[in-house]
Amino acid sequence: MGKILIAAAYGAFVVFLIRFLAYWLIWRKTVTVMRLGKTAQTVRPSVKAFALTVMDVTFFGRLLMVNPVLWVGEWVFHVSFLLVLLRHLRLFLNPVPSCIWWVQTPGLIAGYFLPFSLAYILLVRLLSKRERYASPANVFLLALVLVISSLGVVMHGLFKPNLVDVKLFVLGILSFTPASLPESTLFAIHFSLVLVLIPLLPTHIFFAPIVMMEARKREQALHLVMHEK
Amino acid sequence: MKNKRSFTQELLPQQILEIGACTQCGECLKHCPVQDVTGNPSVSPPEKIRMFREFISSTEGLKSRIFGSRDVDQKLLDDFTRAVYECTTCGACGQNCPVGIFTQRLWPALRKEMVKHGLGPIGVQANMPKAIMHSGNPYDKPASERYRPWFPERVKVVDRSEIAYYAGCTGAYEAEPMVRGDVLVLDAIGEPFTMLPPEEEVCCGFPLFITGQHDQLQDLITRLVQGYEARGVKVLICSCPCCVNIMTRDWPLFYRKPLPFTIRHITQYVSDAISAGKLRFRKELRETVIYHDPCYLSRGVGVIEEPRNVLRSIPGLTLLEFERHGPNSRCCGSGGAARKVFHENAIAMGRLTIDEAVAKKADRLILSCPACYAKVNESMMGHKNQIRITDIMELTSSMIESDWP
Repeated sequence: MGKILIAAAYGAFVVFLIRFLAYWLIWRKTVTVMRLGKTAQTVRPSVKAFALTVMDVTFFGRLLMVNPVLWVGEWVFHVSFLLVLLRHLRLFLNPVPSCIWWVQTPGLIAGYFLPFSLAYILLVRLLSKRERYASPANVFLLALVLVISSLGVVMHGLFKPNLVDVKLFVLGILSFTPASLPESTLFAIHFSLVLVLIPLLPTHIFFAPIVMMEARKREQALHLVMHEK
Repeated sequence: MKNKRSFTQELLPQQILEIGACTQCGECLKHCPVQDVTGNPSVSPPEKIRMFREFISSTEGLKSRIFGSRDVDQKLLDDFTRAVYECTTCGACGQNCPVGIFTQRLWPALRKEMVKHGLGPIGVQANMPKAIMHSGNPYDKPASERYRPWFPERVKVVDRSEIAYYAGCTGAYEAEPMVRGDVLVLDAIGEPFTMLPPEEEVCCGFPLFITGQHDQLQDLITRLVQGYEARGVKVLICSCPCCVNIMTRDWPLFYRKPLPFTIRHITQYVSDAISAGKLRFRKELRETVIYHDPCYLSRGVGVIEEPRNVLRSIPGLTLLEFERHGPNSRCCGSGGAARKVFHENAIAMGRLTIDEAVAKKADRLILSCPACYAKVNESMMGHKNQIRITDIMELTSSMIESDWP
C-alpha cells in the first residue's frame, strides 16, 4: 500500500507540474503578446485600478459586490486553506523555519474553520434558491476538500497518527528515499485523497489577477470612451 | 465534421486568459437575460466557457501537442454554436463576474471563431452579408426608402458641415419615430448638420461584427469614414447604441488609423445643447417615466447620465429607475442579433422590461435604442401589461414645439 501511494504521489506531482507549466507557458506567451500589442492609446493602470485589483485578489472584492452571502464562505475557505497549507509545511521541511512555527496555532484554528466554510459554500451553492448553477467539477473539488479537511480534524482531535512517522514518510518521498507508510488508516485515506486533489487543482485560476487588472483598467477607462478627458 | 483548426486564432491574448480565468462560479446566471426566460443552464456563460475550453484543449492542449490534434466532438460544437448565438451579448454576465471577464467583447470573438470554423452564424443571420452587399443594410430594404418615409420636410440638411447625423439601418427601417425625433431635435438646436445620401449611408458594420462575419467590415467602415471626411465632418452624431459602440470601439481598428471626427451619442449632444441654452422645452409633461439603459450604450460606452439629464430637463417629468439600471441594466431582448433567430426569447425578455415598468407604475417607458424600440413594441402585442413606449428623442422633439407636422 505504501509503495502504491508513493508511486501515486510522484505521478500526481508530475501531472500537477505539467499542468502548471502548460498554463504558465500560455500565461507567459499571452502577456508577451499583450506587451507587444501596447500602443500609445493603451490604458495604463492607475494607482486606483492597481489598489482595487489587489483588493480583488486578496479579499475577493468583486465577489463581495455580487454575492456577499457566498463571499463570507469563500473568503474564510481560501484563508483557512492557505493557513492549513502553511501549517502542513512543518511536515515537508527539515529544519522547520521559524515563520512556519508561527503559523501553527492560526493554522490549527483554520483547520477547524475549513470544513465548516466548505459545508457552508456547498449548502449555499446547492440549496439556495437564488443560486442557479453549480459546476459539477467545482462541487466535486469542494466535496473532496471537505472530506480531506474533515479527516484532518478527526485525526487531530481523535485518532492522531504518529507525526514522526508521517514526517519521515513525507520527507522520504521528497528525498526519493521512500519510508514506510504510517500505521494509520485515516492518514492513508487523507493522503490518498490529497493525491487525487493535486492534479485537479484549478491551476488556470492563476490567470485571474491579470484579468482582474484588465477589468479594473477597463472600468476606470469606460467613462473616457465617449467623454473628453 | 473535422475540426482540428486552432480555436484561438481570432481571440485577443487577454480573451484567452479570460477563458482560463473563469471559475465557473455561476454568479453570471443571475444576471443573464437568456437564463431569465429559458432557465436553461446549458446555454449559460460558464457552460459556454467550459465547452470552449474543451475545443482549445482538443486542438492546442498539451496532449494534442504531443500526440496531435483530436477532432472536437460534433455535438459539443453544435451545442456551443447554438449557445453562443442564443446569447444577446448584453454583457450583464461580465458586469457581474467575480473575475471581471469582458463578456460583451468575448462572445462576439467566440462567434467569429465559429464563423471561421464554418459553424456560425445560424439561421437568417447568415443572410446579412449578402443583404448588406446588395442594398447596404441588413434588412435588404431599398436605399430609396431609407429616409423618405420619416424624414420631415421642414428639416434642412446641408451638403457640408462639421456636424453629421447617421440614422442607422434599424432606426431608419424599424424605428421611424425615433430617427424622426432625432432630426427634429437636431434641427431645433439650430446647428447646420449634414447626412450622407441614402445610398451612401450603409450599415455601420455592427450586425456583421456581432455575428462574427467580419469580411465586409473594413470596406463598409472605410466607405462611411471617407464619406463623412469628404463633407468636412468633425462630429458624427448617432442615436443607435450599437452603431455608436462599433464606431467608437472598432471603427479606428478597421479604418487602421484614428477617425477624422469624434463620435457623439445624440443624448450627449442634446444634453450639452440644453445646458448651453440652445434647446428649450416649451411644453410640460406631468408624467412619471422610466428609462431603460441600452446595454451597448451604458455598459458598452459609458453613456449613462446624459439621457437622464435630457429627461430631467423636461418640465414636470418624474424619472423612475429600473431595479437594474445604468451599467447593470437588463437586456430588453433585442441584442446580439439573437432576436433574428430566437424570437420567443426576445419577446419574453421584452415583456420582463414592460412588466417591471408597469409594476413601478410608470406612465411611459422611455427607450433610446432602435432595436429595443422595435422589439419591446413587438413584445407588447398581445401582452397582458400595456404601457406607452416612447423613444427619448421622440419625446424630446414633442416637448420643444407643438405645431410640427
